Amino acid sequence: MSVQDLILGLHRFWAGQGCYLAQTYDLEVGAGTMTPDTFFRVLDRRDWRVGYVQPSRRPDDGRYGENPNRVQKHFQYQVILKPSPAGIQDIYVESLRSLGIALEDHDLRFDEDNWESPTIGAWGVGWQVLLDGLEITQFTYFQQCGGIDLAPVPVEITYGLERLEMFLEQKDDIYDLDWSADVSYRDLRLREEKEFSEYNFTAASVTMLRQAFNACQREAGRLAGKNLLLPAYDMCLKCSHNFNLLDSRGAISVTERVKMISQIRALVNDIARRYTGGKDGA
Amino acid sequence: MEFLLELRTEELPASHIRAAVEQLEAGFRKELLGARIEVRALGTLATPRRLVVAGDFAEGQQDREEVVTGPPLSIAKGPDGALSPAGKGFARSQGVDESLLETVRTPKGEYLGFKRKAKGTPTADILAAAVPRVLGSLTFPKMMRWASSPFRFSRPIHGLLCVFGGRAVATSFEGFQAGDETVGHRIAAPGPVKAADLASYRSGLERAFVIIDPADRKKMILDQMEAALAPFQAKAYPDPELLDDLTLNVEHPLVVLGAFPETYLSLPLEVLSTAMREGQHLFSVVRDKKQLPYFLGVADAVGDGKGLIRRGNERVLKARLADARFFWDRDRKVPLGERADGLKNVLFQEKLGTYEDKTLRLKKTVGYLCDKLGVPEAKASAVEAASLCKADLLTEMVKEFSGLQGRMGGLYAREEGYPADVCQAVYEHYQPGSLEDASPASVPGAILSIADKMDSIVGAIGVGLQVSGSSDPFGLRRNAHGVCKVALDRKLRFSFPLLLDRVLAVYRDCLTVGRAEVKTACLDFFAGRLRFMLEKRGFRYDLVSAALGPGVDQIVDVLARVEALDALKSSPQFEPFILMAKRINNILKGLPAAKINADLFVEKEERELYSALQIIGSNAQPMIARGDFARAQGIIFKLQPMLNTFFDKVLVMAEDKKVRQNRLGLLQSIAKMLLGIADYSQIVVEGEKAAKPKGSR
Repeated sequence: MSVQDLILGLHRFWAGQGCYLAQTYDLEVGAGTMTPDTFFRVLDRRDWRVGYVQPSRRPDDGRYGENPNRVQKHFQYQVILKPSPAGIQDIYVESLRSLGIALEDHDLRFDEDNWESPTIGAWGVGWQVLLDGLEITQFTYFQQCGGIDLAPVPVEITYGLERLEMFLEQKDDIYDLDWSADVSYRDLRLREEKEFSEYNFTAASVTMLRQAFNACQREAGRLAGKNLLLPAYDMCLKCSHNFNLLDSRGAISVTERVKMISQIRALVNDIARRYTGGKDGA
Repeated sequence: MEFLLELRTEELPASHIRAAVEQLEAGFRKELLGARIEVRALGTLATPRRLVVAGDFAEGQQDREEVVTGPPLSIAKGPDGALSPAGKGFARSQGVDESLLETVRTPKGEYLGFKRKAKGTPTADILAAAVPRVLGSLTFPKMMRWASSPFRFSRPIHGLLCVFGGRAVATSFEGFQAGDETVGHRIAAPGPVKAADLASYRSGLERAFVIIDPADRKKMILDQMEAALAPFQAKAYPDPELLDDLTLNVEHPLVVLGAFPETYLSLPLEVLSTAMREGQHLFSVVRDKKQLPYFLGVADAVGDGKGLIRRGNERVLKARLADARFFWDRDRKVPLGERADGLKNVLFQEKLGTYEDKTLRLKKTVGYLCDKLGVPEAKASAVEAASLCKADLLTEMVKEFSGLQGRMGGLYAREEGYPADVCQAVYEHYQPGSLEDASPASVPGAILSIADKMDSIVGAIGVGLQVSGSSDPFGLRRNAHGVCKVALDRKLRFSFPLLLDRVLAVYRDCLTVGRAEVKTACLDFFAGRLRFMLEKRGFRYDLVSAALGPGVDQIVDVLARVEALDALKSSPQFEPFILMAKRINNILKGLPAAKINADLFVEKEERELYSALQIIGSNAQPMIARGDFARAQGIIFKLQPMLNTFFDKVLVMAEDKKVRQNRLGLLQSIAKMLLGIADYSQIVVEGEKAAKPKGSR
């Protein structure tokens, strides 16, 4: 089974659960949670079911293509079901079986892990799902997002596609994975990992990144003031990615780090409050 | 009759299970006691997906006679003794025959009333009401909501089994009607399992690959580990905490032995075991204290006939070890001393400066402590260790495995060839991490540990960060426990208030709170922590109060004082002596200091007491000074017969002011000497009652 088959399998499975299959969001994000298909849609009271692939950028995880597990960009399969169905754990287990995993021969564990993302004022309660010791999924009952208590509660299921694929192909090196029958992960990604590691750690201009961070921050505030909430949120995502790059460049001290994260969070929380009908979010 | 309850949930964290079973047992015990139902047995069982209560209770409440009281006799009966309209009305409203009415005598007077037999309520009915109450009152370290309900619990609930005497109890919880059915293992046997009693529940689940008793699971794990390691003549490195957690993480334990490439054995043991333990929950395998290239994992599975679980875990561990070696190799390319320069960019606390500032302060404080402890020979090492100890915060390894902080610095220092005692001091300066953890084994390590913790505590309090309730963001309690534990474990004698002065001085003008105020706050805080630690060691709270009475000068003296009191608390001399000390205190309460003039003694008894005091005092003083309170106390107790005669024969409050002042002066010097050992007036003796003071936690 290739990465491509895995994606198709998950698409088929979650479409069968009534999910709308969204397309990848076209901005750099650190996780599938951050895209509007999750962020905005979990805030209101309406039912929502969505599944999508989201490339996730973590500049600090770059290893110049030399580490068999870590990459500065990986792919997540993100599922949101709101409200969380009663049998969701069984449904999830079924999704693994649908990929051809004979769970009777393996050790499947739901291991306590409470996910949080301070940048977007979000946290939840749940587990990391381990398959023979390998973390394949983050499973979270979302409690708060943009600083707002979520009701109904959505469940978020995030599969790490490369991890799961390494399990399925029984391979030790991420670059040995098959993306399709004749395109390997190495073909697709190795050069990208090398160049972006260089960029993330040494080549990126700190001056430019700082200016970009500040400009996007101002713009987010300005747009939120006009109630243009989706564009304002895009600006927050840009802030977040610029921040991650500055961090991997080693340009951020501990205090500054806390300050910048809280700046982004304040903007995001304000957008969430406006979106849910709060007035100015002050 | 047998009671069985199972609340089925999604996977609960081990800490939540521990919290829940304790509350469940206490909750049901309280409900049944309150309902006057005899509890013959009550216990709990659990798996990650089940909270179970099993018990043996009486079938129902005892039938009993109760008295129903009506109106006062004066109203209920006329002057002729016949029932008044009010009395008749009472009988009517209660549906009782008038002939059964009688006079009920109460402390408030006589009333009309009657006795009736009350039928005991069946236990099943009591349980039906109690179950949702007990379950609904459970609290967990972190609670969550799910679906569309505002209800909060540890994890979502899936079912309720509740039987009493073989029949399902008519109760429900959060929409789940109680039944007599559960389900088996999530993967191996997810079908239904019927249970009428504990025995059929236990065996039915066992057939469905769920071992319900944590003790059985623990034994399975230990037996399988032993069997797996027997051919190697090796042992799992003991990790009771991990074992307990894993026991609560699986429904059907399966021990899996795996291997990793021998080349990773070149990594330090600390790194290997951390990489195995964190995240993957694996045990290290050792022979004669040497790490072998194997690990033991505990799976939740029936078997691993195809070896897939083993191979999967091996692959994951190999990747983690590859990462660890990447960090180990990369970190060692930059010498620690050079790395320490980077600490100027790492903030310790906004107002307290960077870790470089902290390092400079630590160098001064450890130097001071070496002088005060009379170990000048340790000074060079302690100062060098102080300058290096925080550098590992900037290593990749500590960024990945924060639990290795300090230890990593020590290991990297060793690799670079620093003197052994410097490496050891760096290695152990975070110790003890808890009251159960060991204190540093080396003198420079102990000194650096105390200096580091004192710096954090004084700094935090000095910029107004307070510890309150459950909030302790700076870990001040843990740090204070650490300082006290190191001083006590290693019997270090140094004046605590003077150390505070020194640390305050080293901070110069960084602090926003006045020095005197910080010092008082620190002294109070430490007194509270010492109280907590000593009570935890089992000393009586009033003895602890007495031992803290003279104040915290030497930390070790507080323990010595309470031990001295504790050793004597059951001796026949103890109580009369305490009463005597209290008597002296009461007499002296609120009086100004008075001087003794030996020429002014009138009576033989006071002169004798005075000369005894002089002899005993001069013997006891040096003992007190060196902290030998047990012996000092023993000598001082000898004053008691003389004090007795003194109080019998001599009137302290004499008419003559000079004589009176002289006698008060005599008592004051006795009180002062006593206070050198303990504040005896704090001790509660038979026949007295004192409310337990609120300790600061």
